[in-house]
Amino acid sequence: MLITPDVEAMAAGPEEPGPGRSWLRGILAPKVLTGLVIVGVFTAMAVFGPMLDHADPGAITSARLQPPSLHHLLGTTQQGQDVLTQLIYGARVSMEVGFAAGILTTLWSLLVGLTGGYLSGASSELLSMFANVFLVLPGLPLVVIMAAYLPHSGSAGIIIVITVTGWAWGARVLRAQTLSLRRRDFVEAARATGQGPVKIMLYDILPNEVAIITVTFLGSVVSAILTEASIAFLGLSDVTQWSWGTMLYWAQVSGAELARAWWWFVPPGLCIALVGTGLAFINFGIDDVINPRLRSAGSTPRRRRSRALAGSLARLARPPVRRAAKGPEAARGPGIAGGPGGTAGGTVLELKNLRVEYRGGAAPVRAVNDVSLTLRRGEILGIAGESGSGKSTLARAVTRLLRPPAQIVSGEMTYTARDGRQIDIAGLSDRELRQFRWEEVSIVFQSAMNALNPVLTLGTQIDDVLRAHRPGMRKVQRAARVRDLLHMVGISPDRAGAYPHELSGGMRQRAMIAMGLALDPEIVVMDEPTTALDVVIQRQVIETISGLKDTLGFSVIFITHDLSLLIELCDTIAIMYAGRIVELATAGQLYQRPLHPYSQGLLGSFPTLTGPRRTLSGVPGYPPDMRRLPAGCSFQPRCPRALAACAGTPPQLIRPQIPDPASVACLLYDTDYQDHPEGLTTGGGRA
Amino acid sequence: MRVMLRRLSFYAVTAWAAITLNFILPRLMPGNPAQDLINRSAGKLSPAAIKAIQVLFGQPHTSLISQYLTYWRNVVTFNFGVSYSFYPTPVIQVIRQSIFWTVVLIGLCTIIGFVLGTLLGMFVGWRRGSWRDALVPVTTFLSSLPYFWFALIAILVFAVSLRWFPSSGGYGIGLQIGLNWPFISSAIYYGTLPALTIVIASVGGWLLGMRNMMITTLNEDYVLLAEAKGLSRLRVMFTYAGRNAVLPSVAGFAMSLGFVVGGAIVTEIVFNYPGIGTVLFQAAEGQDYPLLEAIFLTITMAVLIANLLADLAYIALDPRTRES
Repeated sequence: MLITPDVEAMAAGPEEPGPGRSWLRGILAPKVLTGLVIVGVFTAMAVFGPMLDHADPGAITSARLQPPSLHHLLGTTQQGQDVLTQLIYGARVSMEVGFAAGILTTLWSLLVGLTGGYLSGASSELLSMFANVFLVLPGLPLVVIMAAYLPHSGSAGIIIVITVTGWAWGARVLRAQTLSLRRRDFVEAARATGQGPVKIMLYDILPNEVAIITVTFLGSVVSAILTEASIAFLGLSDVTQWSWGTMLYWAQVSGAELARAWWWFVPPGLCIALVGTGLAFINFGIDDVINPRLRSAGSTPRRRRSRALAGSLARLARPPVRRAAKGPEAARGPGIAGGPGGTAGGTVLELKNLRVEYRGGAAPVRAVNDVSLTLRRGEILGIAGESGSGKSTLARAVTRLLRPPAQIVSGEMTYTARDGRQIDIAGLSDRELRQFRWEEVSIVFQSAMNALNPVLTLGTQIDDVLRAHRPGMRKVQRAARVRDLLHMVGISPDRAGAYPHELSGGMRQRAMIAMGLALDPEIVVMDEPTTALDVVIQRQVIETISGLKDTLGFSVIFITHDLSLLIELCDTIAIMYAGRIVELATAGQLYQRPLHPYSQGLLGSFPTLTGPRRTLSGVPGYPPDMRRLPAGCSFQPRCPRALAACAGTPPQLIRPQIPDPASVACLLYDTDYQDHPEGLTTGGGRA
Repeated sequence: MRVMLRRLSFYAVTAWAAITLNFILPRLMPGNPAQDLINRSAGKLSPAAIKAIQVLFGQPHTSLISQYLTYWRNVVTFNFGVSYSFYPTPVIQVIRQSIFWTVVLIGLCTIIGFVLGTLLGMFVGWRRGSWRDALVPVTTFLSSLPYFWFALIAILVFAVSLRWFPSSGGYGIGLQIGLNWPFISSAIYYGTLPALTIVIASVGGWLLGMRNMMITTLNEDYVLLAEAKGLSRLRVMFTYAGRNAVLPSVAGFAMSLGFVVGGAIVTEIVFNYPGIGTVLFQAAEGQDYPLLEAIFLTITMAVLIANLLADLAYIALDPRTRES
């Protein structure tokens, strides 16, 4: 019943490729290897060292305070004892105490954490309180007191003292982990089958905590070694039993640092730190596996400036094809209703052969492949597709928000401002990009809860935009603008002082829209803005968007998997599949006569509220694995109407009925392969 | 407000637990610490001092409950008896003389270490895959070093070899302690090396924690949105990413504080700094149980107060906690 930590990442699909699934890779990471080697060397030293070096670490000779020499590789102490011999014997005591206390501490933490997390009610609260109290009590003074009562008790006493004072952190971590596992389905299932609590804890929960237990264990070993050193350094342990801490005690008591006898106290401290570092490195490796985000991306984003620049120059040389419609909207301002641009407006954004790749794994994953689109002023362009189709990646590419390993590999993105100025989005410098962002293109994310900064008020987050882009605005003016914006989306202006968590889901999403409109942008990219909302709220948000679009005249790129919503809302719709646009048509055409078998399937998978009743068919199969796309049409394995040629020939986007602007990428409409004329005549799956 | 009350009651419980632990420990330990102490004094102690010792460490022929009550009365009135290692100074006076040094030195160093480590962690986490990542193994190594070892090295290099700073003590000999410039400047001069040691040794832990949180936070939508808004890089880094990434560090302050304070106290010993750490060392060496116990209570209370302040800071930083 082991849950691999990557299940969610895999389910998220190729939109987020990269995290390697193999534990082996984590273990073989250079950091972990270094850690294992260091710890291995010291363990060997502790185990075998005293067998090879028979000298007595306490033997007093007349060779006092000798610096390192061939005879004494690490010099001698004030009593003429050999430092290297002491170091080797010290390794044994220090590592022994460290590992023994680490094991005891972890067992105790596990007992308290696991039972405290699994049980509920008063006993659980009590255990948690118990752990929290011990967590806050400063460890060292407590250790000192306990050790003082057990003077010269040797390793056993020290181990007990360290365990008693050091278990609380691990118990807390393990409790939190158990609490989250307890609610998982597989634990519920085990409970439903009548397994006893002890069995569930041991067989269902414990195996899933192995990584965290290891991290806790290694952490407690480090802290046990350090604590032992502190106790010994304070002279509270048996000072005739050689450990690295005892060596430091004698060095300090004899004033080694004043006598410049560095060889005496430098090696034991380095040994402690090296073991600590080694164990920490192993922990980092485990952390990386548990939490793939921490793994460094390795590559810094590097744009192909020269190439993009050349593109933008070429663009400037060419006069703009069509001037933007200049009408009453030229005087557009907050709250002033300008004439809607309508679908007849000029081009505001043009994408040409855009290609985005994720370059992290063995082979690059093409999340957006050869996409060309045109957005007209005042138009709502819908982009539909399943999760993993590349639609969100496209949205982030247009706003230049891609992070490594995702990067724009080729293609052009041209923005045309209202005054006809053309801007190559990919070629903007960081400074220009900051000015361009939000001023021309703003974005609304799917989950407003995650997209709003939880520690700033709504007003501050809108105000931030104004402060960055309108440095001339006075504080009072900005506050007035914030109130106007909130009012515009139907939020009471006095909510400007509210924090995101104090608002309802629908309000948060409308606040996001208000924020998106703060600078009167030409384009608002909406990435699944309604997906996380229930149907009623969804309706309100959609109405807010269309209403505002009509008054303010901005263009929208609306991304969703909800095709029926797009058909109601949009002027033009692009259907994406496996990173490509497979069909591009007006909303009406797509609804009446979807061309691509995939579009036909999608339309068959949603009921409409207003349209005639029909059978829901849906799309068979699962979204493709972006790492292993078929050679021909990516949809071919799921396509109910696939031709023989589809497996080997990638279809191009064509316009099958020339006066009609609808285009489709499917061999069924390619005259070269048309032995299936029904594709043209019947309207697809919806009879 | 309710959150605040909950935290306050938690600290009250913790304080009670610490004080009670202090009562139970000597009674649990093998042997009879109270009789040990009385025997060791060889008749030097006054009957009142003997009584105080018995209240703290175990009275013969008295029920535990009444012992506990008398113990509490002594704790509340700061009556911890007479110190052995500083005989015949009362324990409370020994603590009063040393606590100021510790509060100033360790208090300042902890705050500086936290601020510095958090800022550095923020910068390292902000740009991964750059040279700054090399700081991670270095700081891991630094944070694995025992503080006192670091102190020994600092003395060897800066006090013995370079002679930049004195190797021990808290101020120049013969100076009048008080608000006069010669004393204050001397205290700063003597305190610099211990302070540097504590700051450098504690910075690594904060740095690593903040770096990891920063990397996690940078993946949040609100950071991406802040970038999309065209805000300046500093605004995104501090107000959107950093402000949220620092929250776990502040919440984890309690856990780390005990560790930092422990390390700092041992550092005092190496520098023979006139603070509570050095006194603790002398008390442990001389098995001066009355002083040990009182120091434990003092440090615990100081740490609890610091934690309470950290909690207040957390509530100020995170509006979500302010909800009822």
